[in-house]
Amino acid sequence: MATTTPVPTETECPPIDFGELKSNCVAPRPSIMGQKRGLRSILWLSFKGIVRGLLTTLSYFRRPSTVVTQQYPENRDTLEMFERYRGRLSLIHNEEGEHGCTACQICERLCPNASIIITKDKKNEATGKPALDQFIWRQDTCTFCNICVLVCPFDTLEMTGDFESSVFDRRLLVFNLNEYAGPTAGQLDKLEDDELAKAQMKPMNKYQGPVPMCGGEMDGIPKLDVEKPTDA
Amino acid sequence: MTVEVSSLKELVEQASGDDRSPDTQEYFVNMGPQHPSTHGVLRLVLKLDGERVLRCIPVLGYIHRSIEKISEHMNYMNCVHLTDRMDYLSSIMNNWAVSKAVEEAAGIEVNSRIQYIRTIFAELERIQSHQLWWGVLGMDLGAFTPFLYGIRDREVLNDVMEETVGARLTMNYVLPGGLMADIHPNFVHRVKEFIKYFRPKLDEYDDLLTNNVIIQERLRNVGILSPQTAVQYGATGPVLRGSGVAFDLRKDHPYGVYDQADFEVPVGTIGDSWDRYWVRVEEMRQSLNIVEQLLDNIPPGDFLVKKLNSKIKIPEGRYYSQLETARGVLGVFIASDKKDEPYRLHYRSPNFNNLWCLEPMIKGDYIASLIGAMSSLDLVIPDIDR
Ligand code: SF4
Ligand code: SF4
Repeated sequence: MATTTPVPTETECPPIDFGELKSNCVAPRPSIMGQKRGLRSILWLSFKGIVRGLLTTLSYFRRPSTVVTQQYPENRDTLEMFERYRGRLSLIHNEEGEHGCTACQICERLCPNASIIITKDKKNEATGKPALDQFIWRQDTCTFCNICVLVCPFDTLEMTGDFESSVFDRRLLVFNLNEYAGPTAGQLDKLEDDELAKAQMKPMNKYQGPVPMCGGEMDGIPKLDVEKPTDA
Repeated sequence: MTVEVSSLKELVEQASGDDRSPDTQEYFVNMGPQHPSTHGVLRLVLKLDGERVLRCIPVLGYIHRSIEKISEHMNYMNCVHLTDRMDYLSSIMNNWAVSKAVEEAAGIEVNSRIQYIRTIFAELERIQSHQLWWGVLGMDLGAFTPFLYGIRDREVLNDVMEETVGARLTMNYVLPGGLMADIHPNFVHRVKEFIKYFRPKLDEYDDLLTNNVIIQERLRNVGILSPQTAVQYGATGPVLRGSGVAFDLRKDHPYGVYDQADFEVPVGTIGDSWDRYWVRVEEMRQSLNIVEQLLDNIPPGDFLVKKLNSKIKIPEGRYYSQLETARGVLGVFIASDKKDEPYRLHYRSPNFNNLWCLEPMIKGDYIASLIGAMSSLDLVIPDIDR
């Protein structure tokens, strides 16, 4: 087989009328070898081009602090994320540790990838209204799209700046967000009896209850001790 | 015009047939899917004669996530966040494309504040996309330093956008009927600071790469794409403009508030990689101009004209809408059957068409040139497969 050197050929087609397209500027196209130049001028310009590039890097080499953007693991203590940063999802709890979620399930319905699962107590015995049982968030499938935060009619969700969420077992990425199972802060305030209100707040652990995959046994994978979460 | 269809297997068998001649043999080599310079999981099957590329057949499908199919089961607000994952370097423009299509189809009018903010963000995003491209181009050609400089400046810009949006890559900021949040109070001030910071840095870019004779010679007269071929293959964006066809939706069919900004569209002359390089570098300058002009005139108003969890229903029919992302024309086609979910959603993604220009560009050239030419196309693979 003879080795031929194929030359790039233009596909044969009649010239195309591109219509009245508005071109305003032609990008400059200066290059050293592209123009007619003597050998001396080419050598000089090439030398200059390369040396100027080296001088640029050298100038930064002398003052490295101007090019450093973040020293991440070192500045961990002082690092502040922007207030709108979308990291871990959290259910807002007030100072008394009460949340505002009425278990209306709007966020569950509008989450694009079913990362939120809400189980509820249909009728709380004290308030007579539905109360949140578990707010399960699947961090492993969440795309941090922020839609749940936006659609919640009671503004009880927020995205925190917490972005260090690596764990050694993916089962740990599915957990409860609520700290107790029970009615909202507002409903609890309406109850006259403080004791009764306290009794409605059943403490909820991060990995408590039938959380899907929560440290459970899988084929060939032993059960995980989720009482001591390893994400500390 | 005849279209020849042949499977990959046939092609390979043809080439490795009975060949006992003492001459060099043509052979096939896989480039990718894990090749670092294909910027993702793109597989190129190269038919080589020595070091010359005789054919270059892109093989797709390694990062297909069926975004279009998933969208058929989602309401329009949720469809938007998947477009972040197509061309992740122009995520806001992708969001905008879907939102624009939905707004036009459902007859939602957005106010001019929303249009201003969208336009400004689209231009900022174009700059950061080109910054990354510039760095990666240097790295593909064997110069690692530009990559660090490109990333350094992109970091500054990313911080500016992150303050308002809350995310750095998958932004999901534009929604049908508005924006996810209003701009941060610091935004205007910080963008101005960025413009002041970045203008001189562009000259530094020139010192590092543009004026370097080695880079020039690796790009000049490499991968020539004639305007006819570019149009035939449906190339858009800087690839098309590099070939000398002045087609930019921002000028030709203005959307957003581009008609209120005064800017120029850089166009190349002969369509080699060097032209595409210049077009993109020049586009960064023009984008800075656009942002500068619009920044002070953001009118007051709401950032969302439609209540968020209200269902958006589109009348029965087919709708098409398009806009210019950092890589070309992104078209959104919606077929609706009156529900709040699309019956069919199709994206005409710019990278898909740009990719096929690789073969006419590189036929007969060396493998080393292929790297430079591919880098000048600025492909984002997830956008090709979707
Ligand atoms: S978080 Fe908000 S939207 Fe979700 S169930 Fe609770 S109250 Fe409803
Ligand atoms: S951020 Fe998006 S994906 Fe994640 S839980 Fe909320 S709605 Fe679902």
